[in-house]
Parts: sequence; C-alpha cells; structure tokens
Amino acid sequence: MSSSTKQHLTIGIDPGSSSVKVAIMTSYAGSDGRILATTTQRIRRRNVQSVVKATVDEACRAANVNWGDFDYVTSTGDGDAVEDKTGHFYSMTTHARGALYLVPTAKAVLDIGALHARAIRIAETGRVENHRMTSQCASGSGQFLENIARYLGVPLDDVGKLSVGAKKPETVSSICAVLAETDVINMVSREISTADILKGIHLSIAGRLVRLLRAIHSEGVVLVTGGLAKDEGLLSSLNDILVEETTKKNRHPVAELTFTTHHDGILAGAIGAALLGAYRYEQLERRGRLRDVVSTAQHDSVDP
Amino acid sequence: MNTVHDTPGRSDDPAAPLLARAQTLVTDLSLSSVHAWKTQHPDGLIVGYMPIYIPRPLLEALGCLPVSLFGGGDQVDIIKGDSYFQSYICHIPRSTIELLQSHRYDVLDAVLFPSICDVIRNLSGMWKLLHPQQLAEYVDLPQNFSPDIGGRFYRLEMQRIASALTSRGARPLTDDALREACARENVRRAAIRDMDAIRARQPWRIAASEAYLIIRAGGVLDTVEHTELIRAFTAAVAERKPRIYDNVRVIVVGSFCEQPPIDLIRTLEKAGCDILDDDFQLGLRLIEGDIDTSPNQDPLSALAAAFIDHGAATASRYIADCEKGAALVHKVRTLGADGVIFAAASFCDPALLDQPMLEAALDRADIPYTAFKFSENTGQFQVIREQAGAFSDSVKLWGKVA
Repeated sequence: MSSSTKQHLTIGIDPGSSSVKVAIMTSYAGSDGRILATTTQRIRRRNVQSVVKATVDEACRAANVNWGDFDYVTSTGDGDAVEDKTGHFYSMTTHARGALYLVPTAKAVLDIGALHARAIRIAETGRVENHRMTSQCASGSGQFLENIARYLGVPLDDVGKLSVGAKKPETVSSICAVLAETDVINMVSREISTADILKGIHLSIAGRLVRLLRAIHSEGVVLVTGGLAKDEGLLSSLNDILVEETTKKNRHPVAELTFTTHHDGILAGAIGAALLGAYRYEQLERRGRLRDVVSTAQHDSVDP
Repeated sequence: MNTVHDTPGRSDDPAAPLLARAQTLVTDLSLSSVHAWKTQHPDGLIVGYMPIYIPRPLLEALGCLPVSLFGGGDQVDIIKGDSYFQSYICHIPRSTIELLQSHRYDVLDAVLFPSICDVIRNLSGMWKLLHPQQLAEYVDLPQNFSPDIGGRFYRLEMQRIASALTSRGARPLTDDALREACARENVRRAAIRDMDAIRARQPWRIAASEAYLIIRAGGVLDTVEHTELIRAFTAAVAERKPRIYDNVRVIVVGSFCEQPPIDLIRTLEKAGCDILDDDFQLGLRLIEGDIDTSPNQDPLSALAAAFIDHGAATASRYIADCEKGAALVHKVRTLGADGVIFAAASFCDPALLDQPMLEAALDRADIPYTAFKFSENTGQFQVIREQAGAFSDSVKLWGKVA
C-alpha cells in the first residue's frame, strides 16, 4: 500500500456482537505487516467496554507493549465500545484488508458474524469494490445457529461435525428465522435426526450466502471469516451449494468460486484495522495532519 | 413508534443541561412553551410557519411569536394524515395534518406557508378547509432577485401578511418595531454564526446533532431567549475537554424542509463523519449577513433586500444552471470539507431535482459525495450507517485530501 521506511506499531480492536477481537501489529504504513499478538474474548453478559479493556490488556501483555506505544489505535465493528481510539474504520473495510493479509489471493470475503453476514468483493489494493449484507432477518447468522443448537441440546462445537455426517438433510425456510425455528420444531416432532436438521439449516444459510456473493459478482478465492468460519458443516454446505450450481451450470453459467478459511479468520477485522491504522498514520503524517488527530486527544480551548 | 431519544450530553458535560432543555423543546409536540408564552402575552398572536423561510422579524414586530412547524418527526403514528395525501409525496404534510387533526395546533392563531413546493401549497388549502378559524396564508417568496421587481414584490407580500395578521389582532406594524426586531435577529444570527464557526473548525467540540437541537429549539422561542440559549451553549462547550477522532469532514445537504430524525444525524456521526455544515432547518440561517437596521433605511425594504441579496443558495431559490452548485463547492473549499453527503427526504422534489446538478458541480470539482434518502419517521439506520461508514472509509483511505 505504501513504501514507508518507518515501522509503525498499531492495534486493531474489533468488538463484535458476541466477542471482542484484538490484533497488535507492526508494519510499514500497513505493508509487510507482522502480528505481535492477537486475543479474543467472548462478551457473554459482561459490559462490552470492560471486555474491550481486558482483551486489549491481555494482548498488550502478550506483545510486551504499553498502551502509549501505539502510533494509531483503530476500532472497527462496534466502535462506540472503544473510547480511546484514534480512528474507526467500518468493518467491511477492515475485513477486506485483513482478508488480503491472511490470504493474498482472496478476491472476496464472506464475513459471517453473530447477527449479520456480508459478502465483500475486494480489489488488489484492499479497497471494497462491492458488498451485500443479509437483511434484517437473523436466519443467515451465527446467533440463529447458536439458538438452534441450544434448542436441540447440541454443544456448539459439535454442530459442524454432526452436520457433515448427515444422510438426508431436511429443507428449512431460508427467509425467516422465526419460520425456520418453527420448521425445526416440526422436524423434531417428526423424529428427523439432529444431524439432518443441522445440515438442512447449514444448507439454508449457505444458499443465502452464495446468493450474496453472486449478487456482488464475485469470483475466485473467497475467504470465509467471522465466528462461523470455524463451522466445518457450514463450509461443507457452501461447497455443496457450489456443486449444486455446477449441475445447473449449462442452463445458468456462473463464475467459479473457491471457499477457503484461515485459522486467524475470526481476527480479519482486527488485523485489517491494525494495518489500516498504520496506513492512515503515514497518510496523515504525509499530509501534515497528524497533529490534528493523533498527537493529542484533547484541546484545551476553543480556537480563536 | 420511536419516541424515546437518548438524553444528549454526558452528565459531566457543562452543556448537558442546555442540550436537555433544547431536546425537551424540540420534542414537545404539545407546544407547552408556546402555551406559556400565550399566557404571558394574551394580546400576542401565535403564528406557525412551515419550512423553509419566513421573515420572523416581521412577525415579532407585530407582537407575534413565530413558531416553526416541522411535522411530527418519528414521534407520531400517522392515522388521519395518510388519508389526505397520495402515497408518492413526502412525509411532513401527513404528520402535520395528523397533529392538526389531533388538536395540537389549536394554540396557533395563524399559519404561514412559504412557497417551496406544490405539496406545501396543497397543505395550505387543506388547512384553510379544516381549520377556517385560523388564518392560513400562502406566502409567495420572490424568484426574481432584481430589487426593483422581486424586492418590490416581496415588500408588498410582507405588507399583505402584516395587514392580514393585524386584522386578526396583531399590533400594527411600525418602522421602529420592525427595526428593533431586525436588530434582535441580527444578534441571533451572529450567535448562530459564532456557534457554526466553532463547529466547522472543531467539530469534535460541537456535534452536528447538538447544534441541530440548539438551533431547532429556537423554533418555539422568541429571538432574545433563543440567542441566550445559543450563547450559553457556546460558552459551555468551550469548557469541554473533548476527545478528537480521526473522522472524515463532511457537509450534509438536502434536509432543509422535512427533517431527518435526530438519531439519523447521530448515525452519521457514529459512522465517522464530522458534519461541519448542513442545511437542516435552514430557515433560521437563510439570510447570510445582517439585515440593514440603519435609521435612514426603510426597515421593510431592508428585510426584503436581505432576502433578495443575501439569501442562501438552496433548492427553493432560483439559481441559473451555470451557477448551480457553485455555492456548495465554495463552502466545501472554505470549510476544508472532505466530501458531501446528500440526505434528502423521500419524494422531496426541490431537493431531489436539484441533486443531479449539485452532483455534477461536485464531479467537476473532484469532490467525493454519497447520497441517501430518509423519511422523518425513519427508524432503521443500519443501511445508512453502512453507507456513511463506507463513504467515510473511502474518503479517508483513498481520497485525495482527507
């Protein structure tokens, strides 16, 4: 992104709906980034600001740095939870940048969070070219899946494995979480196996997510990020949807998509935020505006 | 229905009590402060007026309290209002009719409808039919800006309004009273200019959503009381120890008539936009500069000249194609803004018909912009936050100046 010779130390803080993710990095204005530490803490029922503080403290200890050492503190996601920030970038922007850092060949990001899912098409520079989000309904989100797992008495970590082993998945509503939950209740009463129910839900979610990607005309490598990136059942279902599309390809040709994940995928937003913070720091310095926003957090008086 | 707003300002914020008072005044659809004024001034008339601009000094010189009417915002469920208007027009006339029919405008003695669009013209006709006991007058603002033609016409129009109000019990118009009212208005405008100047230089000290409340509170206060509120707020914010964020600096355009919900303005701010300037409730800021109050000047002609010569460039004012957008580009350059956000009410013809020409001017000047539409009762801001956030990021990271 830049040819800066100065190394920047930055932190990206990403408070999401269910967890806070932090990444501390060094980079040269966002290029040649190196992760010093990453931390993730679940919010559960705690105050989100206290979780942010705890997560940041943990990351600083791990990286052996102090709060005052950072050139730029970037928030993304729920920025209101991070009062001591230098600047904020929207999560689409940071996920795009973080995705390119994790998987340099990525052409799109599929970020599946607790409350929303979004597809983002990215340029080689990391710039967002197009994006599409799930609508207000929660049926394409992690929270919905978590609720269903709870109803079925399945630990969240087992959902993926069970789904992959399904024999005859049941179709559920892909439109509405409420209708889908009703579908699940009906399936339980019809003694459909838990694995088949979960697979049906995964396919339903995957169908919506692939449609998001098609809507923004993405092609090539798609990095799946967010909490559901670790759900092997969902990843398998995403590929199932692609196979299903391929069988209809002669009638409706579609671009090739390849899904991939990264073990730090859930941290894509925080990583992108840290890298963009460094980029922005160098940009402000070059434009002579650094003093306005970075070097002081307070002004003592109204300008004359 | 979304009626509950966060009380603005933090508890340790010296401006918090003033913002709380302003919010109470803005959200009080029962117009308690107006009723209180009427009790204190039993001989005075209460004159409501629709956006954008009415010569308030003229009304104050007649012993009237001008009250700005901005509809019901997000506080009113529309039941009766929808039956008076077709679906493809803006929202403000619906909520205005709703408030009228629920007797919340009974305190008004007269209502003025400045010329802005056909919808407001139709509303004036409905008001006359529904509440014939109230004086309802359509006010033609000139679109010819020659002093001898438009200026003369506007002076006659103001005389007509003054006569109509006097016939309903207002004080007769005198030169001295009008001159004094114009002088008070000049003081208020200076106070607003000072506040706007702080906001433009240090947007982290005064948020646009706060300035909005402070200015809009003036819609139900007399000029002196409103000036005191602005001055007190300006003094209070000087005591703040604000935190500065690396935000993008924008100007918001298009919301001069139907007002966005306050939470929409806060949404833009939370999306990383420092709003340096806007045209929300433009009426109180429409005259750029002072009204001439010199003793040898006819005050009515001076008031007309202020509109003719110093009226702000807005969609309801005729501006030739070759000059369209020049004022906006100039403002962006002068304030050092990074971009423009067009925020027009859905179906607002004046704003939306103007927008392509303004966009073309911004394109020519290489100034980035984004656009969305709202309704005064919009309750979901996620999409707008996403759009404004993406715009903010784009300008900050890939723009040429931010």
